[in-house]
Amino acid sequence: MSCSKFETDIALYAGGDLPAGRIARIEWHLAECADCRVLAEELRAGQAVLGELRDEPLEDAMVAQVRRRVIAELGRAGFSRRGALAPLLALAAALLLATVLMWPRHSAKPTAVAHVETPHVTPVAPAARTNIVPVRHRAARQRRRAPAAQPGPPLLVQFVTDDPNIVVYWLINQKPQGD
Amino acid sequence: MEPEGIALRMTAYPRENSGELADFERIMSQCERRVLRVALRLLNNPQDAQDAAQEVFLRLYKHFGNLDETRGYEPWLYRVTVNVCRDISRGRRRSVGLAEVPDPVAPQPDAYHDAERAQQREIVRRGLGCLGEKERAALVLRDVEGLSTREVAGILGSSENTVRSQISTARLKLRDFTGRLLRRR
Repeated sequence: MSCSKFETDIALYAGGDLPAGRIARIEWHLAECADCRVLAEELRAGQAVLGELRDEPLEDAMVAQVRRRVIAELGRAGFSRRGALAPLLALAAALLLATVLMWPRHSAKPTAVAHVETPHVTPVAPAARTNIVPVRHRAARQRRRAPAAQPGPPLLVQFVTDDPNIVVYWLINQKPQGD
Repeated sequence: MEPEGIALRMTAYPRENSGELADFERIMSQCERRVLRVALRLLNNPQDAQDAAQEVFLRLYKHFGNLDETRGYEPWLYRVTVNVCRDISRGRRRSVGLAEVPDPVAPQPDAYHDAERAQQREIVRRGLGCLGEKERAALVLRDVEGLSTREVAGILGSSENTVRSQISTARLKLRDFTGRLLRRR
């Protein structure tokens, strides 16, 4: 009689994993088959040895080394959940910067280096309405026209975020002055 | 026994919530041996096991705030350990064959029993390396760690029937492996 069809269930039975509905059949077979009883005993012996592996002591040095390495990794700059947000922060900063740059320009000439930080808006009381008569000075017109359009110095915009590790620089070539 | 003089220091690694770091430190202290032991049984290589344990705890740190503490960290840690070990194992693709296992050395009579048990453990350890990846994971969690079939199924993301099948196959393979090796003596 071939016992191979029982092996799978015997392996489960030896470890107490056989569903209740199949136990009676295996016990009946084990009662009459010496070879399968040997198999069951060997399987139990193997499980006992596996259980001993759990109790084998680990070297303290090995555990300590893992902990040291974890600490070292955590100590590296940028390894944190805040670090995981860095790309998002950078994107947000870039979008904000683009918004600032695309805002309609005022007549004031930009300085060579503009620090864009938290914008401070100072309310100004409206001045009394005055009639302004445009006066054209010939010399001024000439001065404006005279030099052939010279490009201004490049505009460097430094965008400072809350995270000191993230600073966005934006280099802009200015249009030639005098147009 | 905890390694002395080694602890995570909040001041060195500031987090948004320093209490969280203390919790992380506590969980790591509680589970580091278990994680390392499972990794060692799955990979059968101390260096690889250390690499795996390190990766597991870095992942724990990264996801710490998102984990449901009420469900306990153990299942999550077991699952991640199995996954990390699988990745490492696939990276090196090296299985231990019977030919690589040294012949057992006859122990001295006075320490015969202990030596024989140690020898059997060594054979079984090597035998684990001959199992398939999923069978090994199921057997280590069930028979070495002593988890229930249901817990193993939850960790491995399989059904209980699948886990039973893997456990059964693994036990029979391991028995064949040890039998063949012992017959060589």
